[in-house]
Amino acid sequence: MAPSTDIAVVGWATTPLVRRTDLSETQLLLRAITSALEPLGLTRSDVDFTCLGSCDYITGQAFSFVGNLDAIGAWPPKRDSHVEMDGAWALYEAWLRLQEGDIEIAVVTGSGRSSTGNPALIYPMEMDPYYLAPIGADPVTFAALQARAVIAAGIADERTMAEVAVRSRGEGDVDELLRGEYVREPLRRHDLPPITDGAAAMVLATGDRARQLVERPAYITGFDHRTECHNPAFRRLDDSPSTRIAAEAAGLGDAPVEVAELQAAFTHEELLLRSVLGLGDDVAVNPSGGALKANPIMASGLCRIGHAADHVFAGGTRALAHSTSGPCLQQNLICILEGRS
Amino acid sequence: MVRFTESTITFPYTRSLGPVVGAFMTALTEKRILGIRNGEQVICPPMEWDPSTGAELPRDLVEVGPAGTVDSWTWVPEPTEQHPLDRPFAFAFVRLDGASTPLLHAVDASSPDAMSDGMRVAPRWKGQRIGHLTDIACFVPGEEPQVDGDDLGPAAEPVQMMDYLARITYRNPVPPSSDLVVDASRQHRLVGFRCPGCGKTYVGGRGVCPIDSVEFGEEHLVELPHTGTITNHVVITPVQYPGQTETEPFARVFVLLDGSDAVLGYQPVIELPVEDVAVGVRVSAVWASPGEESDEGGGMGGAFGSLIGWMPNGEPPVDDPDLVNRIF
Amino acid sequence: MIPAAVVGVGQTHHKTRRRDVSFGGLVREAVFRALDDAQMTMADIDAVVLGKAPDLFEGVMKPELYLSDALGAVGKPMFRVHTAGSVGGTTGIVAASHVQGGKHKTVLAVAFEKQSEGNAQFALGSGKGASLGAGGSFAPFIRSYIHRSGAPEHIGWKVAVKDRQNALKNPYAHLKIEDISIEKVKSSPMMWEPIRFLESCPSSDGACAVVITDEEGARGRTPAWILGASSRSEPPAFPGRDPVRPLACLTCATDVYQQAGITRPREQIDMAELYVPFSWHEPMWLEAHFLAEEGDGWKLTDAGDTEIGGSMPINCSGGVLSSNPIGASGLLRFAEAALQVRGAAGEHQVDGCRTALGMAYGANSQYFSMWVVADSLQPFG
Repeated sequence: MAPSTDIAVVGWATTPLVRRTDLSETQLLLRAITSALEPLGLTRSDVDFTCLGSCDYITGQAFSFVGNLDAIGAWPPKRDSHVEMDGAWALYEAWLRLQEGDIEIAVVTGSGRSSTGNPALIYPMEMDPYYLAPIGADPVTFAALQARAVIAAGIADERTMAEVAVRSRGEGDVDELLRGEYVREPLRRHDLPPITDGAAAMVLATGDRARQLVERPAYITGFDHRTECHNPAFRRLDDSPSTRIAAEAAGLGDAPVEVAELQAAFTHEELLLRSVLGLGDDVAVNPSGGALKANPIMASGLCRIGHAADHVFAGGTRALAHSTSGPCLQQNLICILEGRS
Repeated sequence: MVRFTESTITFPYTRSLGPVVGAFMTALTEKRILGIRNGEQVICPPMEWDPSTGAELPRDLVEVGPAGTVDSWTWVPEPTEQHPLDRPFAFAFVRLDGASTPLLHAVDASSPDAMSDGMRVAPRWKGQRIGHLTDIACFVPGEEPQVDGDDLGPAAEPVQMMDYLARITYRNPVPPSSDLVVDASRQHRLVGFRCPGCGKTYVGGRGVCPIDSVEFGEEHLVELPHTGTITNHVVITPVQYPGQTETEPFARVFVLLDGSDAVLGYQPVIELPVEDVAVGVRVSAVWASPGEESDEGGGMGGAFGSLIGWMPNGEPPVDDPDLVNRIF
Repeated sequence: MIPAAVVGVGQTHHKTRRRDVSFGGLVREAVFRALDDAQMTMADIDAVVLGKAPDLFEGVMKPELYLSDALGAVGKPMFRVHTAGSVGGTTGIVAASHVQGGKHKTVLAVAFEKQSEGNAQFALGSGKGASLGAGGSFAPFIRSYIHRSGAPEHIGWKVAVKDRQNALKNPYAHLKIEDISIEKVKSSPMMWEPIRFLESCPSSDGACAVVITDEEGARGRTPAWILGASSRSEPPAFPGRDPVRPLACLTCATDVYQQAGITRPREQIDMAELYVPFSWHEPMWLEAHFLAEEGDGWKLTDAGDTEIGGSMPINCSGGVLSSNPIGASGLLRFAEAALQVRGAAGEHQVDGCRTALGMAYGANSQYFSMWVVADSLQPFG
């Protein structure tokens, strides 16, 4: 069923994305939201709905998101929600909410300070609590097992993976990188994402309001997300059926895209996603550098959508953004953004 | 320079296993590995439901293994404290004989060179087995199961529960607003921040005005009086939990500072017995002697820095019917 | 906006410890009851929305990942919300939004908590000593309410007795206190003065599931039409914030009534399931939802108006005071309201109930979510 209301990204902003920030999550959000609203001439009181995405385990505090209400200007009280997911899913909730047609402007955020703890110790807690968490099954191990499957299927090899790293980060030499030690064979340090602190905020507007705010809104013309069974041992790791279904439901095949921003935290994930999405060489993949360049947990997916919107703001016609959650790309989200003449 | 604090949180959990995982864990204590039939397939580790459709599976548990074949693996050169082995090992998908799906576990091999797809492995059982995935200490190359040390035999009762413990160290910045308030308390000064927008005064180190979205800095500091009135209170009968420090009922009070709109929440009281805590009691701040000081910021409430609590100052109580409503 | 209705409701038997089931087993118990009630199977579901309170309560981070296959969500959208204690309500609202915005036809909302796996008191204090517990946060609010309304102390006891008597009529309720009485409540230990032990909610393991669909999906089934759904949040603290009559609650109620076409809530709403974790929240929330005049909420309680058979029955299921699987508690309120207008509440059914309010709140009385359901799209003519 097609949405009846035009909904567009009209602006977004991030805090500096850094290895370790001095700022609290609330401070990060405060600054990101202000930076996203100000260029549009909007204030927090213009915002009809907010949805925040963050994760208690990253912070080490139950209900950690409650304090973040300080950042959204919730006085007088606001229509508001929170997802324990990447901000890309917060955007999805806001997109659903705006389709009801009674409100015009929403702000969504994603925020996380990945530097607070050791991801290798935190992330096993999202795994099967009986069969995987108790042996500390960590995300890099699963990424390595998926990389092996992707290589075996002929979709990637260690060299093309290193090329992804060099292109994304705009630095390094492939031959030199390939001489590095394995962190988890076949993954080397350069195949892994950096640890990044930061927050992103995005502003959505409907119909005429979007056109009043910016010259060229980035209309969300397709939006879908799908999940797979949890335990990677039960899945084919050289495929991503949930990405394929989401892309189909979002209408990826209806017209070509010029840019694809993929939340590929590991190099082989970009190659797998390209293959599953059928992206040719004419599509610019992760011109922003992607999650390999900056990977603010819980905001990384929302940043992909922001960069795809930037392409439209700059005159582009159609862009794809992708976000993911869970081990070996368990859950995948596809958002299509379009400009109109 | 922003300060960081480190805290290690140990999360203790006790999981109930249900019929299928429970049967699997019970079998582990008997040095047996179970899968569950799903049509033509045998799923191991066994699930209550079909992983692709969610359909409930008939409880048709079958023994698999004990030996199996490595489907895929990756080498772990630097294990974490959560990993099954404390020396380099391989994480591998082990397809046990008779199973259609692999089980992720550790393989104890001397080096990555000793690992290959298709290699045969068998479990090395712990001598003392409790019904936990790590009853299989790891897998080892070859066909023959091994036992570490003396075999203490199976569990006496079916296994229904398992413990899970994760210990994570978090490193968080102390907001400068909190440090400013704590530092002032070292000089026995009580300070707050006044918002230039709404004019309200925020205490306890809260660094943001949620109404005007203003971040506070030194320029917003205001000195506050050391006397106030109890507006509201709670007496807590402590329940015991891991890490609990209290054993007797204790009071927390809300203090409206004189000549201010600021209420300090959940403050400890000193020399005020629980039964004498009441709305309207006049109190004064109590400062720590050297050595009693805390680095804690106030946050949502509680004492902070050198402010350790409030004690009655002998002034007559205040009779104001609106006082009790000043919780914030 | 596309009309949406609840056509299936399921819940687990709530208990202190559901040691007989795994995580998956617990949520599936509620899911299959909801699907059976809707005469559907997992294959009829287009998307799943999962709600629960902090992941630290059970030690499974982002449990929507582990539970994807248990919930039959493979190949479908799987969404996770967390808005503190109001999360169960928000789960219902977000699931409804999937249908109302036209994205999906039939959506499953699921919420759960398996509190016995961890220690909520521990998790709330993040492992530190002297945790105040939820009662420690709310006791001052209650003292303020009692003071400003002039309510006598037996009001709290009456609510505690009434909700536990209602729980005896609900096969799924956790607390079944056969000999509940005013005497028993007032002689129970003082936990967080003025809150006594029996005026407090239990800690439960449990789950709730609701099937929401569009007009076509509702055909041939028994629908509870969602006439309005709303949420509001306000900041944790600022000088002068009133947690007894939170503006977020007043605004949310006003919004949901307006959507539903309700102008006289006291007459037009036949019953309400309000989130009452401590007995005094009943009169407090009656007032903050315009079901009683300010200062008069306790008088409804005192007169027996909030009993089943009274003029404004509240928490006929036994409410949060009788079953509290935190993450699911809000969805249980929403689901019980739906059961009432579908005439499916069994022994705790309110005769002739056509319009009902479900409400949940969370954190320091900051997050509010509400929906109004009715047996028709035009219950007021």
